[in-house]
This record gives sequence, structure tokens and C-alpha cells, in this order.
Amino acid sequence: MKYWLAACVWLIASSASAQSNLPLRDVQVRWARGAPKVSFSAKDLADERVRNELQSALRKRLVVTVTAHPSGSGRTIVRRQFGCDVTHDLWEDGYLVRIANQTERLPSLEKALDRCLVVRGLFVGEPQRYESYKGKEIYFSVEAEFNPISEKQCRELIRPTGNDDPVGPITVSIVRRRICQAEKTVRFRAKNIRVPE
Amino acid sequence: MSRFERKILFAIGLTVFLSLGGSIFFAQGALREVYRVGVNERFGRELVHGVEARRGQLMALREASEQVADAIGWAVEAAVKENSSPRALEAMLAELLERYSSVRAVRVMEGDRVYVSASRKSQPNSDPSRATTRTREVSARGQELRVEVDVAVPEIYFQRFQEAGEVADVYSRLQRESASVSDVYVWVFGVLVFLVIVVAFLIGAIASRRVTRRVMALAEASRRVGAGDLSVNLPTSATDEVTELTQAFNDMVRDLRDSRARIEYLQRIGAWQDFARRLAHEIKNPLTPIQLAAQEMDETYAGDDETYREKLEHARAIIEEEVATLRRLVGEFSGFAKLPQADLSPADLCELIQSIQDSIPAILEDIGTEGPAPVEVRVSCATKPMPVRMDPMMLRRGVDNVLRNAIQAVYRAKPTGGGQVLLRAYSVERSAFIEVSDNGPGIPRENWDRIFDPYYTTKVEGTGLGLAIVKKVVLEHGGEVGVDDAPEGGARFRIRLPLMASS
Repeated sequence: MKYWLAACVWLIASSASAQSNLPLRDVQVRWARGAPKVSFSAKDLADERVRNELQSALRKRLVVTVTAHPSGSGRTIVRRQFGCDVTHDLWEDGYLVRIANQTERLPSLEKALDRCLVVRGLFVGEPQRYESYKGKEIYFSVEAEFNPISEKQCRELIRPTGNDDPVGPITVSIVRRRICQAEKTVRFRAKNIRVPE
Repeated sequence: MSRFERKILFAIGLTVFLSLGGSIFFAQGALREVYRVGVNERFGRELVHGVEARRGQLMALREASEQVADAIGWAVEAAVKENSSPRALEAMLAELLERYSSVRAVRVMEGDRVYVSASRKSQPNSDPSRATTRTREVSARGQELRVEVDVAVPEIYFQRFQEAGEVADVYSRLQRESASVSDVYVWVFGVLVFLVIVVAFLIGAIASRRVTRRVMALAEASRRVGAGDLSVNLPTSATDEVTELTQAFNDMVRDLRDSRARIEYLQRIGAWQDFARRLAHEIKNPLTPIQLAAQEMDETYAGDDETYREKLEHARAIIEEEVATLRRLVGEFSGFAKLPQADLSPADLCELIQSIQDSIPAILEDIGTEGPAPVEVRVSCATKPMPVRMDPMMLRRGVDNVLRNAIQAVYRAKPTGGGQVLLRAYSVERSAFIEVSDNGPGIPRENWDRIFDPYYTTKVEGTGLGLAIVKKVVLEHGGEVGVDDAPEGGARFRIRLPLMASS
């Protein structure tokens, strides 16, 4: 029993350490009616290889996840995620950017990247989530991913054969996790800030 | 857990681990090879080629739509140069719509005003399509016109392109992760095999525990036997070698128990024989002087008192009768005390039974008070020979005792006739049996264990030595004797003797 406890403590500690050891970056935070609005750029995710892939006319996905944590801890207070599907349109020039159910046409890749990776005034959670942290320090961490395959899509693409063998589903679920992860990821965190009283 | 159990579990664990662990070792290469066959570079290349082909198709469609727009623009320009009327221009546009299936509509604009236009009737159930407008500027005879051509291609082309791209993307990831994914297969296989090992080990442990528990019980029983407890009897429900061993152990303990009981009984009989010898000696010596003294008192009386003489004669008669009884008792005690050890030699049991049968009339004569006792005695013996190591004289004496008791019992119960006694000999497996049964009053169950004890009797003039002699004789023949209820209603005595191996 004590070994399990020790393992759990080690896992939590290492998770907290992993979060707080992320590189620091400038993330603007403004508080509006008790909720934080963050602004930052993760455009450095789009290196040359990413840009080439985005120009391939195949639909690619950019996902940005912002999480808030208490200072010195890896525990998540709130998590906000949004994703862009970017497709270089072969039929007409330009890029189709789809966010949620809205599709807009943007004339260039730069504009599409600005739309997806440069975040301005993104609300991260409801005010009540920060109630218990008033006056305390918290920090935001950002994870920007290029082309993770969504869980649903991954399940459709990599599926067990449907036989009764027990190995198939287990193996497929492990393989899915490896295969469907993002092709490139950028992670960083903001400086500690105090939640206003 | 005992050492034996640990050893068995170790053997099971080693066997299971070596077989299944070996299978993992040999299977991992095969699994990796299977994965390499399924996910190889050539398939990946072909998928990429497929995606490029679809992209090429879309590019060609776009190029075609541009060319169609050019062609329509030039046609409009030529018609305007020829000063065609708007009606003629409209007819020409309709003709162009017929020619180019991808064109949905054409509008010739003069500034913001539609100069002339033509459109295809929309199909109600047509497949979804992706439309766009290609624009061409036309300048002729001083007119600045703009030709807008609406072209459309089926959306399915774009969807298939995206789907092909997704599959190629996943496949390229599988290729990139080839080594690690095949390792996953090996790991999953290994984990499942490990689970099988654990389950097999547990099943083996449970199965072996059943055997080891029985062996442990056997060991514990052996310890109890060693400590002198011969009441041990282990259950033998299964049908395997351990059960055979347990059965052999039970047989051995039963033999030990019987041997011990036999030895104890013979020791007890020996003690009683010694006691009988001394008793006979002590009683026998004063009998003659007592008898002589009584005779002398009676014979030497010279007086005239008739009453006194009668008393003397009566006393002498009583003394002589009691001395005679005591002489008979002394004789029996002496006979019991002098009972020899059985001297065994091979003989046929049926011959012995035959000789006893010959003596039955004399026995009946002896028992009957007024002529032979009216008891029907039947004798039967197996047709095949029953060789037994025996002392014929002693065994005959024993059987004679039992037979005599049976005849006496039925004669007392049925003095006027109707009494039956059956003497038979037969063999079952490796034992020969002599059975004496009657239709007399029988023996109460509570006396079955005691009737073979010396000096225990229920008869008025019995000495309690007859059945004790029977048991001694039988035990010295390596057999056993017992009593139960006869089917005829009386008692049944059964003597078991070991048959000689040659039979």
C-alpha cells in the first residue's frame, strides 16, 4: 500500500514539476468581470515544415490549449481549448479556416496563422472558477499543437478488425495514442500573476 | 506452505514460464516481421502518389474551368465584334452552356448591369458541388464588358482528396513509428502471455494443492501411526495414484491394527491359560482328600441313629457330586491351559469339513438328553479345493466348538424339533470362510464383542472357554472370527482364513 502511495505522490510531484518548468513567455492577461482574458502568440509553431504542410491543400489542424494552474502546482484550475482546421483551397486561391462551425476564407497563410495561433483576449474559464484563488498567485500555460488527429477521427481511421481476439482492441488503443498525437507541439507558460481580490 | 508444495509450484512455474516465455522470445521476431510486411515503404509511396493524383485531378479541373472561362470570353468578344444582337448573344451563351457541363451560368455585364445572361436549370437532387466564378474582361467596338462564368465541380472530388490525405497521413505516421508500434504489439503480447502464465500458475497451484494436501494428510497420518494411533483411516474418493497409495496405507494400518489386536488377544489368552493352569492345579489337589474324607465319614459311622446316618449319606452324595463338577471344571481348565500352539501345514479345508460332518451324529447324541438332539444339521463345501495352512486337529476343535454351541442353542430353543444348523465353507478372492449359522435365539448385538473373552458365558453350566479357544485357534491360523445375525434368524459365526497363494 505504501508503495502505491509513494508512486502516486511521485507522479503528482513530477507532473507539477513538468508544468512549472516550461519556458517562460510573454502572455498578456487582463481581468474582465473576474475572468482572465489572455493574449499571446504561438506562431513559432509554424516552422518551415509546418508551413509546407499547410500549403499542401490537405486539411491540417492547429490546436491551442490554455490552462490555468495555482503557482507551484501542476493542478489544473481551468482548461480552455480551441482548434482551427486550415485548408489551402486549390479551387480558388486562399486558405479556408474553420473554427467551430464557422468557415472563413483568408487570402494568405500568414493571415491564417494569425487567425489560429495569435490569440487575443481569449477568456479562460468562468469567474467563479477563480473565486477560491483571489489574492493568490496563479499561472497560465499554453500548448499549441500542429495536426493532432482528433480522437473521433483517429478511432475511425485506426480500428480493430472486429474479431473476438482480446489483443486487437488493447493494441489498437495504445497505437492510436502514439499515432494520433500532434506532429509538432510548442509549450510555454506565463509568469505568475495574482488573481485580483 | 510445505516444502513439497513449494517444489511442485516451482516445477509448475518453471514449466509454464519456460514454455510461454520462450514463445514470447520467438514470437517477437515474427510479430515485428508481420508489422513490417503490413506497413512498408512501398504502400506509403503509393498512398502519397494517390494523394498527388487526386491533387492533380483537382488542379486539372481548375485549369479546365479557367480554359472554359477563356473560351466563353473569346466567344462573347467575337460575337460583340460581329455586332450580334443581345438575343443572338443569349442563344450563343445557351449553346455554350450545353457544350460545357461544368458551367452553371454565364453573365455578360456592362458595368453593374447585366447585359445578357444564360443559366442552366438547377437539378433538384444533384450531388453537392463547389462553385466559383471566373471573370473575363472583353473589349470590342468600344464596349467594355465583363464576362462572369459560374463553374462548379462535384464536392466529392475534394472530399476524396482530403480522405486520401488523411489515410496517407496516418500511414506515414505508422511508418515513422514503425519500430515503436511493433514493440507495442510485442509488449501487449508479452503482457497477455504473462497474464496467461499467472492464470496457469494459479490453476496449477490449485490443482497441485489438491494432491499435496492429500500427500500431507498421508504424512500426518504416518506420524500418528508412528505415535501408536492405529485408528487412522484416510478418505479415498479420487481415482489416481495418490488414492492407490492412500488405499495401500489404509490397508497397512488395518493390518497393523489387526496384528496388534491379535497379539494382544493372544497375550491375554496366554495369561488366562497360565491362570487356568494354576487354578486347575490348586483345585485338583484337595478334591481327592475331600472325596475320601466324605466317604470315610459315611462308612465308619457305627452308631444307631438312623437320622444321622441319612444326613451323612446325603452330605456324602452332595460332596461327591460337587467334587465331580469341580473335576470336570478342572479338566476343562487344564485342557485350556494345555492348549498347544497351532502347527500349520497345507491342507484342504473341505476335507476338514468332511471329517466334522462325520462326527455330527455323535455330537447330536452327546447333546440330546433322550437320544440324539432333534436338530437338522446341513453341511456344504465349495467344489473346488480350498488349500489353507492349518493345524487340522486344532482347527477342527475350534469349528467343533462353534458347531456344538449352535446345536445346543437351537436344541434349547426347540427341544422338540425344528432346529436347523448350517455349516458351510466357501472362498471369496484370497480368503476361505467357514460359516456356522442357525435358527436359534441368536446373540444380542451388545454381546458380540465379549463372547470371545475367556470365562464370559451366558450358559448356566458353561465355562466361557469354548469361544475363547475358537478365537485363539483362528488367530493362530492368521484368520479372524466374528459373529452377526444369521438370515435364518439365529446367530452366524464366520471364520475367515487366508487361502494359500497357489489357489
